Amino acid sequence: MKPRVTIISLTSCSGCISTLISLDIFPQFLERTRIIFFQFILDAKNIEDTDIAIVEGCVSEETQITLLRDVRKHAKKVYALGTCASCGGILSLSSSKVADPISNYIETNGIIPGCPPPSKLFGNSLIRLVENKDIILSQKNMCGNCSLKRDMKINSHINIYKIIPNPEEITLDEENSECFLKNGILCLGPITRDGCEYKCIKMGLPCEGCMGPVSKDFTSNLINYLSLINLSQELKEYAGIFYRYSKPKFRR
Amino acid sequence: MLKIIDVCKRVEGHGDVKILLQNDDISLVNFQFDIYRGFENFLIGKKLLDIPKIVSRICGLCYASQAIASCKAIEHIYDIEISEQTILLRRLLMSGELIKSHSMNFFFQTLPDLLAIFDFSQKTLTPYELIHYDPQLASNLYELIKIGNEINILFGGRSVHLISLIPGGIIYSPSRKNISLARKKFQNALNNLEWIIEKFIELFSNHIPPKEYHFPHFIFVGLSNYEKYDRYSGNLTIKQNNKNLIEFEKNNYSTYFGKEKDLHGIDFYFENKKNVIVGPLSRYNIIENYGIDEIINYLDYFNKSWKNNILFANFIRLLEMYIEAYHGIQILDDPSLNIREQFSPLNSVKNLDGIGIIEAPRGTLIHHYHLNGSNSIDRIKLFIATEFNIPLINEMITRYAKELFEITGDINLVKKDVQRIIRAFDPCISCATH
Ligand code: SF4
Ligand code: SF4
Repeated sequence: MKPRVTIISLTSCSGCISTLISLDIFPQFLERTRIIFFQFILDAKNIEDTDIAIVEGCVSEETQITLLRDVRKHAKKVYALGTCASCGGILSLSSSKVADPISNYIETNGIIPGCPPPSKLFGNSLIRLVENKDIILSQKNMCGNCSLKRDMKINSHINIYKIIPNPEEITLDEENSECFLKNGILCLGPITRDGCEYKCIKMGLPCEGCMGPVSKDFTSNLINYLSLINLSQELKEYAGIFYRYSKPKFRR
Repeated sequence: MLKIIDVCKRVEGHGDVKILLQNDDISLVNFQFDIYRGFENFLIGKKLLDIPKIVSRICGLCYASQAIASCKAIEHIYDIEISEQTILLRRLLMSGELIKSHSMNFFFQTLPDLLAIFDFSQKTLTPYELIHYDPQLASNLYELIKIGNEINILFGGRSVHLISLIPGGIIYSPSRKNISLARKKFQNALNNLEWIIEKFIELFSNHIPPKEYHFPHFIFVGLSNYEKYDRYSGNLTIKQNNKNLIEFEKNNYSTYFGKEKDLHGIDFYFENKKNVIVGPLSRYNIIENYGIDEIINYLDYFNKSWKNNILFANFIRLLEMYIEAYHGIQILDDPSLNIREQFSPLNSVKNLDGIGIIEAPRGTLIHHYHLNGSNSIDRIKLFIATEFNIPLINEMITRYAKELFEITGDINLVKKDVQRIIRAFDPCISCATH
């Protein structure tokens, strides 16, 4: 029997869904499953019993909590797709809106992280789901395999005063030789889960943490990390760092 | 009064149709959304270099357009010229995005509707049924989705929320290998599109499109470069009744439309504002011709009854993919693509207002940022294609629903048909609910 699949979107940009549809393995995924609810491509109206539920987007409205619980009730397994569903995502930047990860409301069986999830990891994860296996994610941070790493130690001697290099300072990977932290640029690699194949770093930009944390809560990791290094006063006050992809628990 | 809410199906994002019934008559039909994310609010105070990455997340379908409009607005603030190479690479990214977006829309949203509207199928086909209905058509369309995606990965570093796009330039140096790979992809796209376009002509050109999709007095708004098709540069243009071509500089947009305090929806400062339409159909009407012989031939297959019909936008979308693949190949052959210049440094603010305009796949997109005295962003206005179209969508669905309900009294039929009209506009709700 082909597994029945339900795909829903909460508050999102639909980028995870569009990435899903353009994956090389999407036709194979269609072939090997029976998608019973997927608003983007099907007319189906009701949530029904399903083997796998995949949720894109964060919870920002009351009505979504009801929908989410309904999906949980009908699904054998529920997975959070993308950074919005697993951490809160970009809407965390808003001070007036809630941007909750779905795990605040229902039990989840795993996540497919990234904003959007990197194609290879995404494809492999879907195949594992179809085969009724768990998703495997790296348990390491970015720095472990980073090509720029030169014995960087995280300590208060690291002075950070920028979150993005000035355009004219950007060099492509092959010309790059130094860890961003050495040049005063904030890289979130030390607390971010490996798995994106260094997409930003290869383009001369620091990691901004879209894959989420290796463990536990993103913001507490972030706060610990930022307290170890010497961040300029201006950046300490910049909301674009702390709330980039997740809100700290106390703000909820 | 009875209020009926119907959830929109097969659209991107979450939208509802609200139908108001009064004494057994339909008084109003509205296409509406309840979630507003508030990007215009939380972007206030953000660093200029940070903004393109954030606004990309407004939409997972027109991410490149959002980020490029943003880069243009920021470049306006610093008053810098960007290199020819940057412009070419941005155009390639926009082409990849358009091919992906249009082909997804065609496959999942409009093709099933068209087949049902013209009685080729009894019901709206699911993707599974579509694959069985015409395997070749399905596989050609799917190939296009992948090609658009691969172009974005190749030059943008990722399928969605492209990394290479930054104000002042683009972080990429195309290798010979990638250029020849991209050329193959675009060539492939052209071959596929020839087949799909001919199929479309064969299936539909001899039919007369239903009148509910017809609208005689559109006001077309879009970008054109001396009446040539150009989604990156050019001036804003308004065209009404096949005349009244008003062309104006981006800085003067506020003479014609604007946004009020709550920032929901666009206000137009001219007559018949409910007839404004942006997107493929507008671009088609505003430009002189597409400048490609094959396209002129293809257009000849359709008579007048199609040309003021929203369903014609579906055909134009296919043509636009063809045009973009065609231009894509020209860009890849352009020697300027290989001339890498230094990024223009973003040193000093020259304008407190920055306006960036481009044509996203679904129509005109404007980013307008304002800086306060200490060069920090204090006001943001985003004009999004779907927002431009909403008054017209509501006008059309209300008018049609009233008629249909009077004749049939069948509310379920009304609900079904209204949804189809909405889908014919290819609305992007993520964008509209920024
Ligand atoms: S995780 Fe990123 S790509 Fe996915 S829905 Fe959220 S903002 Fe869009
Ligand atoms: S901090 Fe960033 S650049 Fe430095 S080693 Fe870690 S991932 Fe690489």
